[in-house]
Amino acid sequence: MSAHAAVPQKTRTAPARAPAGFPFSFYRYRNYVAFAATSVFMAIGCVGLLEGLHALGKGPEAWNAWLAEMARPGALALSLVVLAFTLYFVFRFGWVGRKIGAGRVGPVPRPPLPLPVLGVAPLGGFVTLWLILLAILGGVLL
Amino acid sequence: MQLRKVKFEVLRFRPEQDEKPVFESYDVECMEDWVVLDALNAIKDDIDPTLSHRWSCRMGVCGSCGMLVNGRPVLTCAAFVRNYSGTIRVEPLSNFPIVRDLVVELDGFVEKIKSVKPWIIRKLEKDVAEGEYRQSPEQLEEFKQFSMCINCALCYAACPVLANEPEFVGPAAIALGHRYNLDSRDEGNAERFAVLDSHDGVYACSYANECSQVCPKHVDPAMAIQQAKLTDFLQWSHLLPKRSFT
Repeated sequence: MSAHAAVPQKTRTAPARAPAGFPFSFYRYRNYVAFAATSVFMAIGCVGLLEGLHALGKGPEAWNAWLAEMARPGALALSLVVLAFTLYFVFRFGWVGRKIGAGRVGPVPRPPLPLPVLGVAPLGGFVTLWLILLAILGGVLL
Repeated sequence: MQLRKVKFEVLRFRPEQDEKPVFESYDVECMEDWVVLDALNAIKDDIDPTLSHRWSCRMGVCGSCGMLVNGRPVLTCAAFVRNYSGTIRVEPLSNFPIVRDLVVELDGFVEKIKSVKPWIIRKLEKDVAEGEYRQSPEQLEEFKQFSMCINCALCYAACPVLANEPEFVGPAAIALGHRYNLDSRDEGNAERFAVLDSHDGVYACSYANECSQVCPKHVDPAMAIQQAKLTDFLQWSHLLPKRSFT
């Protein structure tokens, strides 16, 4: 027998199976899928907002046309869906923060700021920026 | 002792004859204090000696006998038959290729565990004559729960991310890497950073939390991963040093 023939062949395996109840029959897996889906809807929302910014840059006529477009029932419904998924994302992000805050980041040296601040500050900053932007777009500011 | 006849549906896969896994049914006379593993052993001993399954310690320590029982990843040595009603369905762990019957291929799992270097790394080893590395109870408390992991892989079987992204480093490995990063005696944080910060590292987790729910040793790998994310972010942004914690 040649040395090559003596090399044992790998046993044929059956493919890995997905967890029972994946992706929709078990609530934790449904949450996982919904969380993943938030990225799609938030991307749609961001595209809409970028269009608004673009219209704002083009002038009052384009801006008013964009506002009129956004006031249509279909666009309003889509905005509500985007808002719902965005809120879901924010709450779920906060839910993750619960785990971070419960423990520690590591031993010495400690981070320069308290953990809740480190966990919430980026999210708070993000939300604040969007509120400012929306206030500008809505004509409340500037 | 009273016997109860219980029907078991066991997923069988014999690579030499089965194109794909199929369920086979067995009626087993179970004693009141039997666990599912006892029933599987009874099937193998008295009904069908061709059944293959892994087991060793029979007391929830070795982590060998993890399987799906009625769809949930459990250690079969700790799953009492009396706690189930009706037919009991036993399957190999999900998210792993099946080698034979209830035996899964763990090569990838072991590689992932090794990739996070789950051992204490020192830049310079102390001489033995200088004595041991001292650690206070508070320092031990930082990581103790994560060192309770027995590598049973139940968390991998429960993870929805692994179902979509098989290359994800996974809950047990990340928890173990985090455990050593938290250890006051360790100086290998920078070496683990590359793995935990990679595309398949901590950020692939979207926190379904199912890993922590199924852990038989009450480790909280989901918490370890979220903490590791923050640590990773702080190190990436240079708010925390990436070097030794000691």
